[in-house]
Amino acid sequence: MEFEFLADGSAKKVAVEEKNGRFKVRYGDREFEADARRISDNELVLVIDGRTYDVLIARDKERKILFVNGREYIFYEPGEESGRSWTDDHKGPGGGLKINAPMPGKVIKVLVAEGEPVRKNQTLIIVEAMKMENEIKASLEGSVKKVHVAAGELVDQERVLLELEAK
Amino acid sequence: MFKKILIANRGEIAVRVIRACREMGVSPVAVYSEADRAGLHVALADEAVAIGPAPAAESYLDMDRIVKAVRDTGAEAVHPGYGFLAENAAFARRLEKEGIIFIGPRSDALELVGDKVRARQTMEKAGIPVIPGMKSIPSDAAEYAKAAKSLGYPVIVKASAGGGGKGMRIVRAEADLGPAVEAGQREAKSAFGDESVYLEKYLEEPRHVEFQVLADNRGRTVHLFERECSIQRRHQKIVEETPSPALDEVLRRKMGETAKKAMMAAGYNNAGTVEFLIDKNRNFYFLEVNARLQVEHPVTELVTGVDLVRQQILAAAGEPLALSQESLRQRGHAIECRIYAEDPAANFLPSPGRILLLREPKGPGVRLDSGIYSGWDVPIFYDPILAKLVVWAEDRELACRRMGAALNEYAVLGIHTTIGFLKDVICHPEYRAGRTNTAFIPKYFDGWAGENKADGPLAVALAAAAIDDMAFQARPKGASRAKEEAPGPWQTLGRWRMGGAD
Repeated sequence: MEFEFLADGSAKKVAVEEKNGRFKVRYGDREFEADARRISDNELVLVIDGRTYDVLIARDKERKILFVNGREYIFYEPGEESGRSWTDDHKGPGGGLKINAPMPGKVIKVLVAEGEPVRKNQTLIIVEAMKMENEIKASLEGSVKKVHVAAGELVDQERVLLELEAK
Repeated sequence: MFKKILIANRGEIAVRVIRACREMGVSPVAVYSEADRAGLHVALADEAVAIGPAPAAESYLDMDRIVKAVRDTGAEAVHPGYGFLAENAAFARRLEKEGIIFIGPRSDALELVGDKVRARQTMEKAGIPVIPGMKSIPSDAAEYAKAAKSLGYPVIVKASAGGGGKGMRIVRAEADLGPAVEAGQREAKSAFGDESVYLEKYLEEPRHVEFQVLADNRGRTVHLFERECSIQRRHQKIVEETPSPALDEVLRRKMGETAKKAMMAAGYNNAGTVEFLIDKNRNFYFLEVNARLQVEHPVTELVTGVDLVRQQILAAAGEPLALSQESLRQRGHAIECRIYAEDPAANFLPSPGRILLLREPKGPGVRLDSGIYSGWDVPIFYDPILAKLVVWAEDRELACRRMGAALNEYAVLGIHTTIGFLKDVICHPEYRAGRTNTAFIPKYFDGWAGENKADGPLAVALAAAAIDDMAFQARPKGASRAKEEAPGPWQTLGRWRMGGAD
């Protein structure tokens, strides 16, 4: 069977055939045989060429998170990778720039108003989570097109806080 | 001894105190906000009282609600943990008035040391070296600028009621002073309910070394040696250890005696910590007193063999201190790593959310003070600390290795944590050599982008993900997930139920 996962922005294809409880694996030009044993809902122990791999598997709606011998891997279903939203802005329609909340939290202060010109790196909004203030800064010089949130509001990650327009 | 103690806190520290209560035959009472109904501390206590909505100001910081919970449950004493009301003198005084024992210092001592400005004055008078700084809280903004000028930049903004890095800002130029003071005030207000901030001269690359002190209600005082806390991010400690590689016997004795003297000058009782900064020339300066149980108290417990929470409870109950300075020894080496719900690859941005899967490290010399479990939703409202991994070994190098191995076993899947970052810190040659100072993280870990996975078992991870997928596909669609309905060739033991993805 062929499987495809998205990890770190690229598709990874792996082929696995099961025979008598052992698994033949092909990934790129590597081929190996794995003896797999499930020891709980969330844990597989693989033995490959005599080496053991303790694999923890967590799942949510769109991804599997695997923990293999101390390292963490996040795999998305093809077409579902959202990745990290840390760049905190992206181009919206009409050349506007949407500024998203980098993490869930509470809006403490909105420092700009609609129509106001902003400098690059100017602090626009302060969002607090876990008792730490995080300043959301302008990534360009321009003006504030729209403000979507007000002080005191709770916001989810990715929520659009405001839109900027390039100068 | 008390029959019942209410723990006015949450998370790992509430769990820690609950455990001490159990061992002492005291019944522990938990309190919880609406965000913490499913908290581990609630599950482990004997009784639990709902004290209000999620924001701390309306629950864990609400004295009326805490006092009512004490009255309703008949608890005789309150353990405040750290943070929240732990260093709030008004709270301690309120309890004294109500005839409830506060497991911490007397309100007047707490007030004195909790007011960073007055504490500095007291220490100066007692002949203890202090860092140059403002002698009072100014009434208007212009005074900050004047003080900063006379101290000379860089200066550091600090919350008078503060601790844990909250409200702190380093200011290197006059233009940044106003916003830094304002931000410090806001953060201080939200964390401590008191917006007073002051300025101190900022020492570049100091070491941060603190001394644990215990005192009974009769003034008998001992110190339990130092903790080295130089590894910090956002002015908040992330790795601590004891003994400190920076101290020799002479300096250790001198600082220990100074710490005792400082606490006696303040009329301090119960457990407390005297923080010092050590500059490049090995001069030490009094920084502040932390009038509470410290987050990093376990490293002291592991090398001295003294249970500090138990000692706190005994002292609060009026027992005389049974420890003498001569009987206290440091044995071996202990290191603590703080596990925060933060993304170290994104400037330590908070990372609340669901822990899909947790596996905790075990083994000889490994201690885990933890407040989480698989399936717990880490709320956005509180400090991001999840747990503290603490190891003990015969010497520092062995402790480093033990910590590295324990971190490698530690899986918290579903949210970002500091685990991978801490592995790299512990392995760093400068850390291994014991050359740490408060600039360590910015200096060596600026722009840290995640663990190096280049040589990792990606192919194995992909194979495992595929094998896991096959297992799911092997089951009849829409069937119940009971084990008898989902046999597969891979399944040799254990129950079978899909976890987390429902």
